[in-house]
Amino acid sequence: MTAKSKITISRRTLLAGASGTLIASRAWAQQPAEVKVGLLVPISGLYARPGTVMREGAEMAIDHINAQGGVKALGGAKLKLVVLDSGDTTEKAKNAAQRMVAQETDLVAASGAYLSSFTLAVTEVTERANLPMLTLSYSDLITERGFKYVFQTAATAGSQAKQALPQLIKLAETASGKRPKTVAILTDNTGASIASAKAMREGLLAENQLQLIVDETFTPPLADATSLVQKIRSAKPDLLFFLPTVISDAKLLLEKMNEFGLGQGKVPTISFGIAIAEPDMLQTVSPELLQGVLTCVASWGAKGHEALIAELKTRYKEPWMTQNAISTYGDMWVIKDALEKAGKADRVAVGEALRTMDGGPSKYYPLGEIKFDEKGRRVGAGMTIVQWQTGVPVTVFPPELALAKPFWPKS
Amino acid sequence: MLRMRSFLPPLLFTLAYAVVSLGVTNSYYQLILTLVPVWAVFGLSWNLLSGYTGLISFGHAAFFGIGAYATALGQIYFDISPWLLIPIAAVLGGIAGLLIGFPTFRLQGHYFALAMLAYPLAILYVFEWLGFQEVTLPIKRDAPIAYMQFADPHLYTLLGLALMLSTIVLTQIIERSRFGMALLAIKQNEAAAEAAGINTLAWKLRAITLSGAIAAAIGGFYAQVLLVVTPASVFGMLVSAQALTVAMFGGVGTVWGPVIGSVILIPLAEILHAEAGARIPGIQGVIFGIAIVCVILLAPEGLFWKLRDLLRKRNAKATASDTVATVAANVTTLRPASPRPATGEVVLEVRNLSRSFGGLKAVQDVSFKLHKNEILGIIGPNGAGKTTLFNLLNGFLKPSQGEVLIGGRDMSGQRPHVICEAGIGRTFQVMRPFLRMSILDNVVVGAYVRARTDDQARQFAADAVARVGLSAVANRVAGELSTKELRLMELARAIAGQPRILLLDETLAGLGHGEADEVVAVIQQLARDGMTIAIIEHTMQAMVRLVDRFLVLDHGAVITEGLPEVVTRDSRVVEAYLGKKWAGHAAN
Repeated sequence: MTAKSKITISRRTLLAGASGTLIASRAWAQQPAEVKVGLLVPISGLYARPGTVMREGAEMAIDHINAQGGVKALGGAKLKLVVLDSGDTTEKAKNAAQRMVAQETDLVAASGAYLSSFTLAVTEVTERANLPMLTLSYSDLITERGFKYVFQTAATAGSQAKQALPQLIKLAETASGKRPKTVAILTDNTGASIASAKAMREGLLAENQLQLIVDETFTPPLADATSLVQKIRSAKPDLLFFLPTVISDAKLLLEKMNEFGLGQGKVPTISFGIAIAEPDMLQTVSPELLQGVLTCVASWGAKGHEALIAELKTRYKEPWMTQNAISTYGDMWVIKDALEKAGKADRVAVGEALRTMDGGPSKYYPLGEIKFDEKGRRVGAGMTIVQWQTGVPVTVFPPELALAKPFWPKS
Repeated sequence: MLRMRSFLPPLLFTLAYAVVSLGVTNSYYQLILTLVPVWAVFGLSWNLLSGYTGLISFGHAAFFGIGAYATALGQIYFDISPWLLIPIAAVLGGIAGLLIGFPTFRLQGHYFALAMLAYPLAILYVFEWLGFQEVTLPIKRDAPIAYMQFADPHLYTLLGLALMLSTIVLTQIIERSRFGMALLAIKQNEAAAEAAGINTLAWKLRAITLSGAIAAAIGGFYAQVLLVVTPASVFGMLVSAQALTVAMFGGVGTVWGPVIGSVILIPLAEILHAEAGARIPGIQGVIFGIAIVCVILLAPEGLFWKLRDLLRKRNAKATASDTVATVAANVTTLRPASPRPATGEVVLEVRNLSRSFGGLKAVQDVSFKLHKNEILGIIGPNGAGKTTLFNLLNGFLKPSQGEVLIGGRDMSGQRPHVICEAGIGRTFQVMRPFLRMSILDNVVVGAYVRARTDDQARQFAADAVARVGLSAVANRVAGELSTKELRLMELARAIAGQPRILLLDETLAGLGHGEADEVVAVIQQLARDGMTIAIIEHTMQAMVRLVDRFLVLDHGAVITEGLPEVVTRDSRVVEAYLGKKWAGHAAN
């Protein structure tokens, strides 16, 4: 990539030259007192919104860490965030990962990449480059490939459903006085939803003495939810598990439920994943329709995060703190702790530190410890149940993190 | 010799690319260098079907995805090496092509394009339903090479280049063979292609099978590069669009188009993504879109053709003085037709032929005989059913009633290419030359119906060009020709297939007086050489000197039949042409 050998100046040579100088200037700017951390998330395209929230969480964490004296083991070295756009396709995500490892050679660790299919592709690259990668994506597949440099901070999809079900039943039992017996599953066919639904169908429901009486899978986006809701109405399940990924699907079904007189808690509705609790929901669905809807997520702004939630609100105008913000915030602290343990700004050493670290109880991820098992899964990773209460999704489970008491919609 | 020479540019290009790639140590640039041949090959596979036949496919992701999933799932469930799986993927892609092509080729134009759009989207949902939302290739630490998992990213690029080189060479071979000619003929005018003896359905099916196989093979390789396969990343709308984008940007219907498109667009998109996207997220899509819109506006057929046209124009200017040399037809000058007795062997017999469209009887109860070596003029006013009669003779239309006996065998209702094989060639009222191809190449299309090999076809074509007197300009592109030369070229295309009977539909239309005479002389020469000819024409003047016998049609029925001097004085004929009023005058 030298521009010298060419006599004619084309646009490409100019670009090559320009990127050459960029690399050079980076090298000059690098001081021993700065440690680079990567964030590879979608900041353009279809998933730009959640990616942006992840960046906000990361920026807040970096500022806090630096304000508190940086990495002490490295003489108070400051952290520097390098943001890369994973775009909106698997190929773009993989290309961005390749760019990250090829051009940001001094990264010590990174976080990303939102969708689990992106994370799967990205970690294929980071693994080969020995770059530790922390991820919120919870597909079980991510940590089933025998990789050494991927660390899953959230409970896996299968594990989340397993944890959530007994809690939900207990919640229903205490609130309504009777144990739910029948359930309906309405799920779209995207990766995360399928994984959760599969875990429920294949054993979890039976373990919890629940009978599956409606089981429908749809392809987003829905054009009309009438036939789905009619099935629910005629079967009258005690619980409805509704797993959308697209906000418009969530809106369509909730509205149709209301229209058929099943809404606002007549059939308690439980979701998995963040779609139904995204701030964007309020732009299309009225708070009354959402009242009481529960969703099971990997992580959420919870008890102990009040100051962070307030800061996020004032600094970025976010109405509440989703899993994307709080988890990425936590990732930066985990990387900082690993740097302290490693004692040097080296990715292999940081990877080793992450594998062997025992950071005690987790502060920013729900439950468990800051410790990873041999697969790279966080030990004891819990999950959060969030409930829409007067226009805000608040954490209601686990009790030690709950910001509000859950209520069971009255039927 | 010519063939070997044409393989040189792709080989040199590939070598140069390989050298550049070996010099790149940055693994990110290397990945981009790997993706360029991947999308080039995918574009080439699309080009093979859509570029050459003109049947636009919006659904090539169907084949790409089948290849990618076959390669991924084969490794996961059967532990087969991708070295084996990619050829298997190609076979599956070919089968898919055949299965998709067979029903879909019933549609044409936009309907075909939209129907193709449906296949990948439908298959996408099938794979989601099967639970293959995210599939990752198992990492093989102990036998990486056997499973195409290279630590050195250069090897992926070299492998991609090998695939690209073989696809380019394959496309070049096809382009110059009867296969490519058949596809081009279909693109220009499917009906005319059928009339020239081309079994269009068979060739289209071959094209989609091969195209599907190539797309699936490169899809398999892509899975190997990406390591993760999701339905959206291999069956998605954007994947199909990628094939169209690189091919249309670079140039449709040429082997270099998709390669040029890919070499420019793939790195450009990435550079924009890396450099601009980091500062203003999303701007890369805007710039990329504008760049494509500009190219479409400035070079609607793609960069390759634009550049070639510019280059040709410059060369033409430089050599303009040389080409002024006269290109006179080297045929014997016009002589009055010596009457040939209409008593020879009957080569074509039409018995009670009728065809109606709803209530309109376009051709009713027409019977006549065509004798060997005669020239029959079919005349009649507009709407008399002349062209419909030709369409019935060469199989475009099926007769409602009656028989067409060619050499004593009833051929009515057969497909046009079958009738062409039986020895009937025809030209069309509206010319459809392949403007970018040379005269010789235009004519070769018509020769394949008789020729067994490509060389023989070239020989037949050269003979045909010589017979119409265009040898001197045989290598000029059709786009530079005059109407007369185009008419002669059409004639050459029809006789290149060595028919026994030639149906000429208004071959003299649009020609000036002198020009018409030249064409008439050529037709007469053909008759002298033993060809049997039926010709439709409006202009009586030239016809009277040309034909041996007239058949006069009006309102789809035969009015009269006979020698020119008799027919032109027949009051019924004058009436049909000029109305009742003039019939009286003519009698005087």
